[in-house]
Amino acid sequence: MLHTGKKIIVFDGGFGSMLEELGLGGIPEELNITAPDKVRLIHRAYSCADVITTNTFGLNPIKYKGSYGLGELAKAACENARAAGKPVFFDVGPTGAMMEPMGELSFEDAYNAYKEVAEASRDIADGYILETFSDLYEIKAAILAFKENTELPIFATMTFDSSERTLTGSSPEIVANTLEGLGVNALGVNCSLGPKELMGVVGRLLGSTCLPVIVQPNRGLPTLENGKTVYKLTAEEFYESIREMVEMGVSAVGGCCGTTPELIKKISVFSGRDVSRPAVQPGTIVNSANCLCDISSVSICGERINPTGKKTLKQALSEENYGYIIDEALKQQEAGADILDVNCGLPSIDERAVMTRAVKSIQEYCDLPLQLDSTDPRALEAAARIYNGIPLINSVNGDEEVMAKIFPIAKKYGAVVLGLAMDKNGIPKTAGQRLEIAERIIKRAGDFGIPKHKIMIDTLVVTASAEQELAAQTLKALELVKGLGVKTALGISNISFGLPCRRLLNRTFLAMALERGLNMPIINPLDDDMTGTVRAFEVLSCYDRGAEKFIDQYKSVQMSPNIGRKNEGADLSLYDCIRQGLKTKAAGLCAEELKSREPMEIVEGTLIKALDEVGTLYEQGILFLPQLIASAEACRAAFSCITEALPKNSEIKGKVVLATVHGDVHDIGKNIVKVVIESYGWQVTDLGKDVSPQRIVDEVREHKPFAVGLSALMTTTVPAMEKTIAELKRADLRTEIFVGGAVLNEETARRIGADHYTKDALGMAKKLEELFRKQKA
Amino acid sequence: MQEISLSEIAALRPRIYGYMGYVGTASDIQTDNMITECIRELERTAQFNYIYKYSEELPPFLEKEPYRSYLEGSRGVIICAMTLGIAVDRIINRLLRISPSKGAVMNACAGAYLEYLCDTYEERFGSDRGARFCPGYGGSRTEDLKYIFEILDTHKIGIVLNENYFMLPSKSMAGIIAIGGNARAGCGSCIMAGSCAYLKEGAKCFTQGKK
Repeated sequence: MLHTGKKIIVFDGGFGSMLEELGLGGIPEELNITAPDKVRLIHRAYSCADVITTNTFGLNPIKYKGSYGLGELAKAACENARAAGKPVFFDVGPTGAMMEPMGELSFEDAYNAYKEVAEASRDIADGYILETFSDLYEIKAAILAFKENTELPIFATMTFDSSERTLTGSSPEIVANTLEGLGVNALGVNCSLGPKELMGVVGRLLGSTCLPVIVQPNRGLPTLENGKTVYKLTAEEFYESIREMVEMGVSAVGGCCGTTPELIKKISVFSGRDVSRPAVQPGTIVNSANCLCDISSVSICGERINPTGKKTLKQALSEENYGYIIDEALKQQEAGADILDVNCGLPSIDERAVMTRAVKSIQEYCDLPLQLDSTDPRALEAAARIYNGIPLINSVNGDEEVMAKIFPIAKKYGAVVLGLAMDKNGIPKTAGQRLEIAERIIKRAGDFGIPKHKIMIDTLVVTASAEQELAAQTLKALELVKGLGVKTALGISNISFGLPCRRLLNRTFLAMALERGLNMPIINPLDDDMTGTVRAFEVLSCYDRGAEKFIDQYKSVQMSPNIGRKNEGADLSLYDCIRQGLKTKAAGLCAEELKSREPMEIVEGTLIKALDEVGTLYEQGILFLPQLIASAEACRAAFSCITEALPKNSEIKGKVVLATVHGDVHDIGKNIVKVVIESYGWQVTDLGKDVSPQRIVDEVREHKPFAVGLSALMTTTVPAMEKTIAELKRADLRTEIFVGGAVLNEETARRIGADHYTKDALGMAKKLEELFRKQKA
Repeated sequence: MQEISLSEIAALRPRIYGYMGYVGTASDIQTDNMITECIRELERTAQFNYIYKYSEELPPFLEKEPYRSYLEGSRGVIICAMTLGIAVDRIINRLLRISPSKGAVMNACAGAYLEYLCDTYEERFGSDRGARFCPGYGGSRTEDLKYIFEILDTHKIGIVLNENYFMLPSKSMAGIIAIGGNARAGCGSCIMAGSCAYLKEGAKCFTQGKK
């Protein structure tokens, strides 16, 4: 019987180095069947430990490609480990594949791989040790697989490098918050470094979780001697470091690479000792894989990914234009948001599917934690499942039916829940009634095992033009709810609906609410008045110590006597702005010129001429790639004004489909091509990277583009390019086929059947112009 | 990560411009400033990790050309892999959306920064080491990367090789370094010596060039 967290547990040590010592090579997991006696010998040598881990680190269907069945190896491994006469934890390592979006392994495939492991081992082991994971997303898939398919305890550890981050950039605080949220029994660190080097990580984990912390370090930092890896840390030194960790409050200890029975025997004296650690004050924390937001003072939640009242976003959602949604996310991040609301609720769409894809798309580019906002529990569950971190769920209210559906989802995925102080009878008039609902929500959450620090309350803003006196009730309720010990949120801009000069009312109400204890204003972060009010409040309330954040953000802002920013570059023409790459200014001037000039006259007479000059200077080596791209961006901004001025569905030139071919995951060059050719007025459909020939054929058939641009970076993916071209021709799709990329040249392009090869983005833009003019003539 | 000096950044510029398609003497104040900005951001976000094994016996894949010539006379070989980590890929991808011009500069800077950190790290292998040689250089096959990945525990530094021999994170390298004999890091032992675009212009890939 293991007293996890109360008494210290000692795990066994390194296995690989022991196998090496016995002269055993090959696939370690297969030794469970081919050399059981040797494997048992090692397990028995570790019988001084309280828990023995199986020799199954690489045993999952993605990593293990040998000839034995997963089940038979799992069974043999557990039987071997039982030889030590101690409880047996099944050892689970990473798949060895890189998870999406950077890699190719999908969350669902990772989950299914670990589900197979769970099914093969759940009846023969006493628990699981998930170890040496370096990707938060992968360990989340693994934890869910074991939680959903077994009832055994799960200990989960990750590796950290000397920067005290996992190899995918997660801090110890992010790891602790996520693993605790997902409901493991103990969490910690293994492998990575030696015990001394891990002290910092261990201290940060202990300060970030109430769960037992497990540590299994390497035997110091390895050195190379005569071509062999040697660990020089002595048993005494290892013991001293472990002793220090035990004093810090660690609950389970063991060893990883290079550790031996000698070292484990030495630290086994800690077995059964009482765990003593300082209490941890849990916070209201949400996180992505790389960014943590502790909602303790004021955190801005960006409201722009919510279709209510936003025509363009509605269109983007119904067309599943995730590029638009990603750009909205990044703009808010740049503007200073701490969390982003994501609401995909439109009557005409499959909200569950769109929400899932939107969250996947946003988390590929944007680091901010997300607030998943829906009234559909299915959409919330699907999004919380594939979210890489701990989300905020928006929302529940005091209605029992709603709470019964949402709280189990929040509990399972460790989410923080936003509770609206209303119920099926609507928003109560008085602050006292809203407080009662908040109390009900907190109590009911507790029934589902959700602690108070995982609850936030929104005391609800009612528009002042309709019920002016309720603004005061909202603020009063805010103060009362703070007394319950939970954090608060408000959707500020509702206050001004139906009134003129909304920004003035919004920022004034925001300042009032902040003063009464608002923790998370849900606002448009692109509104400088709103973010500025928050930043100023943070200074005046001493949250922003030394006004560091404020100075950093506003030091370069020039204030004119009329409190407005200086109009820089006032004398420049549209041509100059394109030439100098001034995006915002170019868009403004283009809008002005459209009042007196025909759109196509601006395109031909100004934009293309400016681009041609930039192109010439670029080719002469006078301008460089960044300036070329900046000019293209400025021109693209001008083109978006032109497009708006043209009749709906009319095209300036035509469409171009771009794709990086199947098997190729590098798309930087292709992305630069996109910017440059868009600046010449082409409408680009970007299919992304690793695109199958069939999809390219389908998209070309649908969009009927003037041209297709295919990109490949390495020789290994040129065959995929050739296949794509062959399929396009077989389908008899009339389009100009361009190829480009580091490994291509004229000769290869001709050989694989392409119509055109261009060496860079500008080359493609010019060739397109030439073909376009020829066609027009 | 320790901050690198402005003079070191200046020394990196030819390589960075080279990655953007220019050779030797390229320079532009606006781009120079962006380069410094990008390097500072890389210092904050990159997670440089390096893994290697030393062997005096050649693994079979190194017994063919061009490795055989490169290793001729050496007493051993370092087989190594290194990365800036996945966070750098994320930054490049993000910048390419919000500021493509800076994204292009960041991409070039990350490549040069990885080379710089490797060169610094490899000083520990002594002065009788050759220039780093990676599969794909000088007529060698990219496919040989798989042998390096079989030898090293690359998962320990978070690098994955996919079925098309792409390394992820993308700012990663894997290769070999000759030790002893006539091996020396520098233009003389570089496999690109005969065709180097920098040398043709009288510049070096790792110095300020002709100026």
